Amino acid sequence: MGMDVLLLSALAGVAILFSLGVLVSKDNFYSSLYMSVTLIFVAAVYALFNLQPVFVLIVFIFVGAIGIVTVALAATYRTPPERQFSSWWIPAIITALVLGFSSYLLMKRQALLHPQLATRPIQFEFANFLATPEYILLVLFLVSLSILMMLSALKIVGGAK
Amino acid sequence: MQLDVISTSAIYITSFVLLLVGYVTALSSKDLVRLLISFELMFGAVFMSIIPLFSSISNTAFGITIVGIFTSSSELLVLIIAIILFDRKNKNIYTRSISIGGDKL
Repeated sequence: MGMDVLLLSALAGVAILFSLGVLVSKDNFYSSLYMSVTLIFVAAVYALFNLQPVFVLIVFIFVGAIGIVTVALAATYRTPPERQFSSWWIPAIITALVLGFSSYLLMKRQALLHPQLATRPIQFEFANFLATPEYILLVLFLVSLSILMMLSALKIVGGAK
Repeated sequence: MQLDVISTSAIYITSFVLLLVGYVTALSSKDLVRLLISFELMFGAVFMSIIPLFSSISNTAFGITIVGIFTSSSELLVLIIAIILFDRKNKNIYTRSISIGGDKL
């Protein structure tokens, strides 16, 4: 097992530990902090695969903006800490185990059928992405859609007073 | 770093566990802020599962990531509005106060 795989396993393990902190913590404020740290470790896995544009997107937009807004929201609506853990975890875990085992069998079958796909390099160039006009159009469309949604949200909140 | 069978398995297992924790958090949430946190955790799991796509269709995978980020931003916006309106109406943000939608078991 190479150093890369060990580092990947360590990052993934820490991400899982922090995500369990979200579930176990009684206070929403700490849960949102744990959630932000989990997402930073998910972004770190991208950095490990030399996918820096995605790392920047996740850390600066997903964690830097959305995560911090969630932390601020949790701090604003701070309620007395109480245990938020129901017995619904039993059927959820049983369903997850069934789905996980099915996915494992499917992956194993695919690996046997296509052994050439077992090891592949990740080659992503941000310049190639920007050179494709369809993707630029997609980003412009999403930005305009977000602006429309923000205007609608302002109208709803303003109109509900 | 190359994407081999072990690293792909590690990525998918992590993604699966993050998604599971997100689901269990959503199921056991007693207020809307905890629900929002669980949704973002689920989006984190989605981002994790996209990594193997970069080895075969990298540009499309990056496009999917951007769509995912915009979707999560919109989800946050809608849920914040819902929390504000819900708080104005009910003076709390507890999910037990929700009386419309869903099935009653």
